[in-house]
Amino acid sequence: MTRAAWTPSRSISLVLFVASLALLLASCKPMQAATSKAAVAVPAPGAEGYVGADTCKGCHEDQFATFARTRMGRLFLHAPRNQQEQLACENCHGPGKGHVEAGGGKGNIIAFSKKDSTPVEQRNAVCLSCHEKTARLFWQGSPHESRDVACTNCHKVMADVSPKSQLAKATEIETCGQCHLERRAQQMRSSHMPLREGKMTCTSCHNPHGGVTPANLKESSVNETCFTCHAEKRGPFLWEHAPVTESCTNCHDPHGSNHEKMLKVTKPRLCQQCHVETRHPTRPYGKETNPGNSRFILGRQCVSCHVNIHGSNHPSGFAFTR
Amino acid sequence: MAIAGRVGAVLTAALVLGTASLASAQPSLLGLSVEGEVELGGRVFLDEPSDQEKAKLIEYRDLDQQPFGAFRLRFFRPDETYAVEMGGNKIGQDDQEFFLTAEGRGYWRFNFDWDQTPHVYSTNARILATETSPGVFTLPTPRPPLPAYNSGRTLDEVSTRWDTARLGFALTPTPTLDLTLEYTWIHKDGERPLGVAFGSPGSDFMEVLEPIDQHIHDFRIRGSWVGDGWQVQGGYTLSVFQNDRNSVIADDPCFRLGGPLPNGCAGSANGAPERGRVSLAPDNMAHTLSLAGAVNVPFWRTRIAASTSYSLRIQNDTFLPHTINPSLASSPSLALPQDDLDGMVGTFLFNLSATSRPVQPLTLKLGYRIFNYDDMTDDLVFPGHVVNDRTLVNEPRIAGRFDYTKQNADFDARWRFGQPVALTAGVGWERWDRNEHREVPQSDEYMGKLTLDVTPTDWMVGRLAYRPSFRRISEYNTFAHLAHTVVEEPTPDEEAQSQSVLLRKFDEGERDRHRIDLLLAFTPTDAISITSTFGYRNDDYKDSRLGLQKAEAYSAGLDLGWTPVEWLSMTAGYVYELIDQRMRSRNREVAGGRTLDFADFDWISKNVDRIHTLHAGAKATLIPQKLDAVVDVAYSKATGEVDDSNPVKPTSGSAAQRGNATVRPFPDLVDSLLRIEASLRYYLTKSWTLRLGYIFERFDQTDFRTDTLNPFVPGSASVWLGNDLKDYTAHILVMSVGYRF
Repeated sequence: MTRAAWTPSRSISLVLFVASLALLLASCKPMQAATSKAAVAVPAPGAEGYVGADTCKGCHEDQFATFARTRMGRLFLHAPRNQQEQLACENCHGPGKGHVEAGGGKGNIIAFSKKDSTPVEQRNAVCLSCHEKTARLFWQGSPHESRDVACTNCHKVMADVSPKSQLAKATEIETCGQCHLERRAQQMRSSHMPLREGKMTCTSCHNPHGGVTPANLKESSVNETCFTCHAEKRGPFLWEHAPVTESCTNCHDPHGSNHEKMLKVTKPRLCQQCHVETRHPTRPYGKETNPGNSRFILGRQCVSCHVNIHGSNHPSGFAFTR
Repeated sequence: MAIAGRVGAVLTAALVLGTASLASAQPSLLGLSVEGEVELGGRVFLDEPSDQEKAKLIEYRDLDQQPFGAFRLRFFRPDETYAVEMGGNKIGQDDQEFFLTAEGRGYWRFNFDWDQTPHVYSTNARILATETSPGVFTLPTPRPPLPAYNSGRTLDEVSTRWDTARLGFALTPTPTLDLTLEYTWIHKDGERPLGVAFGSPGSDFMEVLEPIDQHIHDFRIRGSWVGDGWQVQGGYTLSVFQNDRNSVIADDPCFRLGGPLPNGCAGSANGAPERGRVSLAPDNMAHTLSLAGAVNVPFWRTRIAASTSYSLRIQNDTFLPHTINPSLASSPSLALPQDDLDGMVGTFLFNLSATSRPVQPLTLKLGYRIFNYDDMTDDLVFPGHVVNDRTLVNEPRIAGRFDYTKQNADFDARWRFGQPVALTAGVGWERWDRNEHREVPQSDEYMGKLTLDVTPTDWMVGRLAYRPSFRRISEYNTFAHLAHTVVEEPTPDEEAQSQSVLLRKFDEGERDRHRIDLLLAFTPTDAISITSTFGYRNDDYKDSRLGLQKAEAYSAGLDLGWTPVEWLSMTAGYVYELIDQRMRSRNREVAGGRTLDFADFDWISKNVDRIHTLHAGAKATLIPQKLDAVVDVAYSKATGEVDDSNPVKPTSGSAAQRGNATVRPFPDLVDSLLRIEASLRYYLTKSWTLRLGYIFERFDQTDFRTDTLNPFVPGSASVWLGNDLKDYTAHILVMSVGYRF
């Protein structure tokens, strides 16, 4: 049989691809941004209302010292690249004159603390004025943004708590685990990826700032994400296993499981949920009194024989045993 | 490697300490300021599990009794315009890691990372076969009796190690332009268990070792351009998978050359082949182009973001022959239609989202996503095939391809009632379109969403979400499963022997789902934080006479953090999870070519997993600037219950058939892990520290399928590696000296 002819889905795909290119190209002209701080003219240091970083340091010496050692602090205080960065503290906290004249307090400055009355959207807009590109492109409308998660819920700007990314906690899993208690617990399961050993992190697979999949994955689909490290499963294979081509999560729970290979359900029951053919797939194997049936339940169960379960490239491999 | 690693650790420490001493003698080195830290230590087992018990302890770690080192050095200009940072951790161990970063602050950045991650599968496997070359396992002729396999040599370790190197360069020539180049190389080396089957479906097998020698090369180039209210970014990725092994060959333990069957082999072994060959993952590659952008539109304060990508996956590894069995290999029906698959799959993604704020309290969000999987590979027809290198079958088989398109659309409206309350209502839709080789050509899932976010005070946050969804299908064609491999029109008997018409596969069938998630977080003071979560999911697989019928899961968690005094902070948490799945199946026997579909041969299985996870920890400054203490405890226990029953007692058919349909006990699968880690850090001076640590770990597992598994199990003619994960208890002492400058 010849290669499949041009299908309607391909036509739709091509039209959408061209349309998206046109949309993106057409959108590439300056427009007034209502929410981005970058759209507002950046005042020069020393402008009306701005007091300068040295004034902030006068009262906040400890915070200034820890901030100066952070990545952002080194940039703002030692090597600012533009007028905005030269504002240093007031770049994020806003003009400090009112705060100074009031003798301090949180009412007349953006404090980024939980007692700060500044709306989360406005606080986040401060960060997004510089950090809205690359990984934060899809922040607006993302699951975290739509639930009012503030940047400072996950990031600590004023001090280095984590080795990278200025997180609020020492590690990613502790940071994400502030809300995702179940996911943090799952790393303790007997079958797991090496998160608790420090060899992987949540952002090995996810982009918490938003993405093109419902689960904020870094790649375009579940499978593409898994293939980043498990490229041997990518194929295409001569004999494909259909649910594998659609999603690895049909069978696996990547966050951890108490079943071998992070399967959602123990074998052979997982396989028997979809396979009710005749003969051996359909028997309720358990602790066998018939030792002849041992091969179906002991050891690795179904994949003792069906070893190429993710797909086989062998001419006689349609049952994935070769 | 172990000795070299230890020497490496010591030399590294010497180098770093030497650098440190130079730095301490003068404030800069080669015009650059320097700061850093180094730690050199050793690990001793007070109670070490035996080698055979260690597999789970060292699953992803190297915990040998040995010295280890860690260091971090940073060289920087005083004005911070240029910096180089390098470091290493677990130096000298099999799981060591290193990094090197150099950057011109805010303009360019170079990074190199090296990581080694072991993955240990077993430390107590036994094998009688000899690996005469990688992936070729031979047995003596005549074959030994099967009980002799229990005396096979014990393998120290069945494991792989992943070595990962990452190189990256990022350039920000202007504040609006970012360019990045990345290269990642993953080398997987080692072995893992693999079974080789011999004979007809359901026949016997022998476990051997799959040699792993694989490389993944990942090249990425990205560009991002930012303007006033808009961004565009594009990229290209090339991913290449290379497997230096293409097959595993193993001698059949039940092969006989004119003599009697080896003791232990069943009569079904008559005519067994001398050996079998299993193919391994073929080389492949993927090219991916991506383009994304976003723009802020003043109308209704709208932001529109879109992305599109196209990926082409290619695989054209040369086929193995149908069989390694010389008595069958020359059959004309086994001629290959072509030398390789010439496989090509295209995946297309388009994603569009728009977020608008027409009036202050209202946020609208609209999203659309389409993912198309287009397998452009030709359907290949094979006139004949060989079942597990034993039986020639002169029936044509076709390798049908699977295509699908998945579309998602959603719309949310969020209204904020003042500052403390926000209510979101939304609808969503997901459609799958599949080609003729899957049972359900089209399915639609309709979703709702209702979320409530409350912040009544500055110390409380509540988030509640309810998401129902209902999946409905156009039709369910049971025989699509048959059609994607069978060429000739199946007879009624052949059709009956394929999938049951009563089955509904859970990934395709109709389903009603309800999901609730709740989060409550309290921070009444800066010293106290309390977080509790609750999640519930209920899946009802409607019309699923056989297959997964119901799935229910819930979890409840509580996390506490308390800093009663400045020098002491404590955390504790507990999560309980329950996952409950109910499935129904039927034992379907075949007699004289006819399928016996007796309703009383049905069986039901309830699979219930219960998992408890606890953690607690404390950090204390016992003597300010002199003595710190840290304690962490983590415990997890999981019980997997498989509760099987026959709805009615099997009475049809023969005694043997009734026996096959009758459920048998399935003992619970239980595992638990307790880990306690405590350490004291004493500051000799501002720069020098001593650390003393203690680690306790205990792992227990009960799994009747592996607990007493030997290579030979009486009554079975299969041969296993006979490995299992043993329980272990470990007491480890860690001591180190650290220097910071």
